[in-house]
Amino acid sequence: MVTPLSMMSPWKSGGLSRGLMACGVLACSLMASLAAVAAPTPGARTLGDTVLAAIASNDPDIRAVAVDRLRYGLTGDWFTRAAGERLPSLPPAVQAAVLSALGDRGDAAAVPAATSLLGSSSDAHARAAALLAIGRLGGAADVAVLVKSLAADDPERAAARRGLVILGGTDSPAAIRAAAKAATGVSRSVLIDALATRRDRAALTDMVAAATDADALVRQAGVRAVAVLGGPGEVDGLARGLLQSQPGGSRVEIENAVVAICTVNPGHEQATETFLGVFKAAGEADRETLLPALGRIGGPAALAIVDGMIADPTTRKQGFAALTRWPDAAVKDGLLDLLRTSTDEGEKKLLLAALIRIAPLPNNKLNDGQKLDLLKKTMSLCERSEDKATVLERANAIRTIETFRFVVPYLDDPTLAEPACRSIVELAHHQKLRDAHKDEFIRALDKVLGTTKNDELVDRANRYKAGQTWDRNKKS
Amino acid sequence: MPFDTTTLDAPFAALKSFDWGGDAAPFKTIDDAVVAAHADATLRADLEKRFAALLGTGTSRAAKEYVCRKLSLIGTAASVPALAALLGDKDNSHMARFALERIDGPEPVDALRKALGEVGSDLKVGMIASLASRRDAASVPLFAALLTSDPMVATAAAQALGRIASPAAAAALAAARPKGPAADAVIDARLACADAFLAAGDRPAAKAIFEAIAAAVATAPHTHRERAIRMAAQSGLFAAVDDTVAP
Repeated sequence: MVTPLSMMSPWKSGGLSRGLMACGVLACSLMASLAAVAAPTPGARTLGDTVLAAIASNDPDIRAVAVDRLRYGLTGDWFTRAAGERLPSLPPAVQAAVLSALGDRGDAAAVPAATSLLGSSSDAHARAAALLAIGRLGGAADVAVLVKSLAADDPERAAARRGLVILGGTDSPAAIRAAAKAATGVSRSVLIDALATRRDRAALTDMVAAATDADALVRQAGVRAVAVLGGPGEVDGLARGLLQSQPGGSRVEIENAVVAICTVNPGHEQATETFLGVFKAAGEADRETLLPALGRIGGPAALAIVDGMIADPTTRKQGFAALTRWPDAAVKDGLLDLLRTSTDEGEKKLLLAALIRIAPLPNNKLNDGQKLDLLKKTMSLCERSEDKATVLERANAIRTIETFRFVVPYLDDPTLAEPACRSIVELAHHQKLRDAHKDEFIRALDKVLGTTKNDELVDRANRYKAGQTWDRNKKS
Repeated sequence: MPFDTTTLDAPFAALKSFDWGGDAAPFKTIDDAVVAAHADATLRADLEKRFAALLGTGTSRAAKEYVCRKLSLIGTAASVPALAALLGDKDNSHMARFALERIDGPEPVDALRKALGEVGSDLKVGMIASLASRRDAASVPLFAALLTSDPMVATAAAQALGRIASPAAAAALAAARPKGPAADAVIDARLACADAFLAAGDRPAAKAIFEAIAAAVATAPHTHRERAIRMAAQSGLFAAVDDTVAP
């Protein structure tokens, strides 16, 4: 049976003051600050009893009001503890509501009750609420409880994950880092994700190590984390990881992280310098592994390296391969020159692919007119129908009426009509462009309808002609 | 340098027949004069006189609206009679109130209170709202008497009493027994009074109202509104007795 608050002595409801008495010198200083907190008045204690009774009642409206009072009122750990003591006797749904209110209340005195409920309740939602409350109110000492719950199913696992992200206290980051180091498998990957969400840069060394872990989940989490938080200091480690990785999935993941650090993250210029240094120092075999990342990072210094490779017959093809991945149109003139002068069909194919990819890229440093000009020049250098078809399909990424007018004539070319139809329909998808040139679009869409045998294109063309839209996700 | 008032003659002449959508450019001079009048009592008096003259007959509604807006910025007791004369005019009453609500001193409030007893139901609601915006304690008995009048006026009176939220207003609301929509407005206004008392630190007064409302609402409420009132009253009651937090 629970003693009513109104019948307790001012400090009877909590063991904090008694515990502190036994802690010698520390207790003296803490007691001094506690003395500043006034003991609850008899009126507050009576109200506390009323509120707790209302929380335990079967009246959902009054219970909601009472839970709100717990959330925002009746301040003091005496009431936090009293509410915590009542938790076991409440139905699970009410336990969850009370724990949420205790979390909002922000009083760490609720942590023991939340932890105790975890040990006694079998209701997943109540347990999840307890974990969230621990996350909001707890500290380093509660990391173990949260980590243990990562092995549970949702909603507990999700709550534990969130708890690890929001856990406060100056010692908590170190405790989470230690837990991440000690954990394996899913738990380790979740802990690394949590550290990344917490933007814990002190964990970067461990994250880089995780990025080359044998466990795919851990490796992916490490790469994700480094891609978000990494800077120049992580480039060396990641480059080593890249060199140790097997071609395919993991190599691409690590490469993505390297590219993000060298192009997006703070300090990316310095990170690029570091990566180029690693590249220059690498042997020929290692350079081949690092080359795709180098191409994706781009920039004048990387271009100088690639130009050198192209000038050397033994590394010429690798240089071309790097250019096909270039992030912007800075290499367009070089590519066009090489394409005009090259006599090797394999080289020409690579160079064309690079130009076709680069020309309409959204952030390639060209305006729409320049993008279209480059695409037109590329088209003029295409000899094979499949290359021309790719140019037409890439064209729709440049959403202008000039692009539309460039594509329309190809509707009359039997070998290129189908890709032209796809591009016209894609351009017509953009209502502002379509409505601003309605007559032209309707004529072109009529031509599409008379040309294509693709049911989806027919449906889309008819919709755009009628001023309707088309849901890309539903694909009617 | 004092404002050259001779530059105002032409724009004021143009203002008389101004209509919405017309060329408002000439009134820039008047706008400038209104700004200058904040630091020039003579100019202010001159402008008030000119504006008052435009509030009579023979001036377009658009011009009167313009004048009321300007008087809301620089009007004094001297402008009150001309504005008060518009309070019974259904086309211009609201703009006259707009100006009167913003003019300092007891004169505008007296004029609004006087008009309250003279205008019809539609305009009465406006007078009540304007007096409530001035938190006019002297209007409380007038509003109390209107709590049993037609629903529109009674509702406005209840809302006004909730806004004034004085002990007298709370007492008038507690004594009221209106029916229909005004009954809901009275409960809302009583909750508003209790909240105001609580915010002002008068816990006993707030508690008394919350208790009375909580007691009056059925234990098993039937409608969403009844549930909301019951919860509001209970929440207020908890807040009124919770001395661990500031009201």
